[in-house]
Amino acid sequence: MTRAHDAPATPPPGNAPGRGRALWPAGVVVALAVFPVLQLAAGGFNYWLHMMLYAFMYIAMASSWNLVGGFAGYISLGHSAFYGIGGYVTGALMTFWGISPVISAPLAGLVCFAIGLPVGLITLRTRGPAFIISTIALLMLAKLALDNCESLGGADGMSLPLPNLPVETMKLPFYYAMLAIAVAAVYTSYRVRHSKLGLGLRAIACDEVKAEAAGIPTRLYKIIAFALSGVYIGMAGGVWGYYLTYLKPTIFFQILTSAQIVLMAIVGGRGTVAGPVLGAILLVGADELLVAKLGSTELNIAAKGALMLGILMFFPEGIAGTLKARGRLPRILDWG
Amino acid sequence: MIEHLQVVILGAALGGVYALMASGLTLIFGVMRIVNIAHAAFMMLGAYLAFWVFTRFQIDPIVSIVIVMPVLFVLGMAVYRLLFGRIVDSQRYAEMTVLLTFALALVIEGVTGYVATGVYRTTTPDYATDAFDLGPFYIPKGQLYATVLSVVLLGALVMFLRFTRTGRAIRATTQNRAAAQLVGVNVAWISTLTFGIGIALAGASGALMSFLFSFFPSKHWQWIASLLALIVLGGMGSLAGTIVGAMLLSIAAAVVSDLLGPTWSPATFFLALFGILMVRPQGLFGKRPEA
Repeated sequence: MTRAHDAPATPPPGNAPGRGRALWPAGVVVALAVFPVLQLAAGGFNYWLHMMLYAFMYIAMASSWNLVGGFAGYISLGHSAFYGIGGYVTGALMTFWGISPVISAPLAGLVCFAIGLPVGLITLRTRGPAFIISTIALLMLAKLALDNCESLGGADGMSLPLPNLPVETMKLPFYYAMLAIAVAAVYTSYRVRHSKLGLGLRAIACDEVKAEAAGIPTRLYKIIAFALSGVYIGMAGGVWGYYLTYLKPTIFFQILTSAQIVLMAIVGGRGTVAGPVLGAILLVGADELLVAKLGSTELNIAAKGALMLGILMFFPEGIAGTLKARGRLPRILDWG
Repeated sequence: MIEHLQVVILGAALGGVYALMASGLTLIFGVMRIVNIAHAAFMMLGAYLAFWVFTRFQIDPIVSIVIVMPVLFVLGMAVYRLLFGRIVDSQRYAEMTVLLTFALALVIEGVTGYVATGVYRTTTPDYATDAFDLGPFYIPKGQLYATVLSVVLLGALVMFLRFTRTGRAIRATTQNRAAAQLVGVNVAWISTLTFGIGIALAGASGALMSFLFSFFPSKHWQWIASLLALIVLGGMGSLAGTIVGAMLLSIAAAVVSDLLGPTWSPATFFLALFGILMVRPQGLFGKRPEA
């Protein structure tokens, strides 16, 4: 277990002895950044670029969810509300004011933060079941609002301006955008884990009453974690909306997206930094195989549910958590 | 004036059904502290079962409750034994139950979607589209029958909880699990039984729903969101709170639907939820939550 005062001032995850360990995440990021060269040089990698940017998106979302669902132990089933809000904010800024997604997507993240504060203020008055229920209500309410918002296309949705790029390079901006968001989300998760905030959140997860008694401003910490967890999900939603070139409430406000995020964090290991990343990569891969094999979305939903049941009953701590408890977590995955 | 009264009547005529839908949810939460996210998915199962016997054997959906309830009762007990029996001592029991029932809802949705496809269904007995004329007002027959039957079932439930030995054991377990165990209540069996009863009630309300609303496999998300909002409003675990909350929200939803259009009526439930969390987080009839 890493103690909070080990928190490094240098980039992650460089808190342990051994130079190689400090460098390898940077190496992975550089390799991912260079990967599209293959597409430019040889072509035919669009499928891989698509899959990878899709995985980056879920890495960012699962890591963000983990801030409140993992560290603080407040399970939210409504985080896809931020995804949809991010998509719509970015889309509206682009369509009506012609603001480039380079600016509007981060703005969408800020909007999600700003929305997360009051929502957190209300929903975090309760804990346990009532909190989870209110997150579902948040998602449903957001969907309902956009279903009825005619100026944003209502239930039929709206089209966005097309990105004017040749097929060969079309995926590249989205690839880099999602990569940047994923790296930022994982870095944030790492920094929070090793900060006073993270320590406070973990204390809340263990025993909120004792944490409060020990002088931790639990209310404030929870609300900050909740709002912060919306930021990268909102940005990912913004980029994804532009990538799809259209927005629709039934696509962007799905409880299944929430299910996917929660499942990834659980499979990988809640409350760890590496867990959600691992879970996202595994499940995006598994999903792709399942769709190819089963081909049917209905059975795919059932398989997702069954997988979730199995993991919860037999490995409730997830991959990273279980390995860690047995002291067998490879150092390459021990991100604190 | 008359039109407004008519809206209230229509709302009240659905209130009983909402109360029945939420009663199983409340019962299960009260006794086992399980927030059953899959409750509406079980309702869908009940509705599909009623639809199946209706189209196959021309059995009226109200009559089919006699079939639906026992089937779902057994299914509910089996699910409880399989999923929840072994996690009772888990440290993170509360959130585990939510995640497990959430996963269960996905499984049910996927399987019903595969078997029954995503087509919108309703059962169509004659009374579904008929109404009683009462001078200036009218009451749709389907809604009236459904609500009357719901009241009967709820009445039977209350009697059962109040006057039978098993019912008293269930209430004792709701009040204090450990103390109930101390005085000799077989808490594990009572939990299994209550889960079965709760799921059977979900099935019954599903059968009634089958001729009131169209349904499809993923429809349960809309229902569960509203029902959960309703039981938080009532004070989680309180049956009286659930019934009062169901009546209030059903009428409020009808009024909102009349004023702003039917697409907004589900918003009533969610806004009521956020409202009550701001004013009185423990709900109308709830005690201060203990953790």
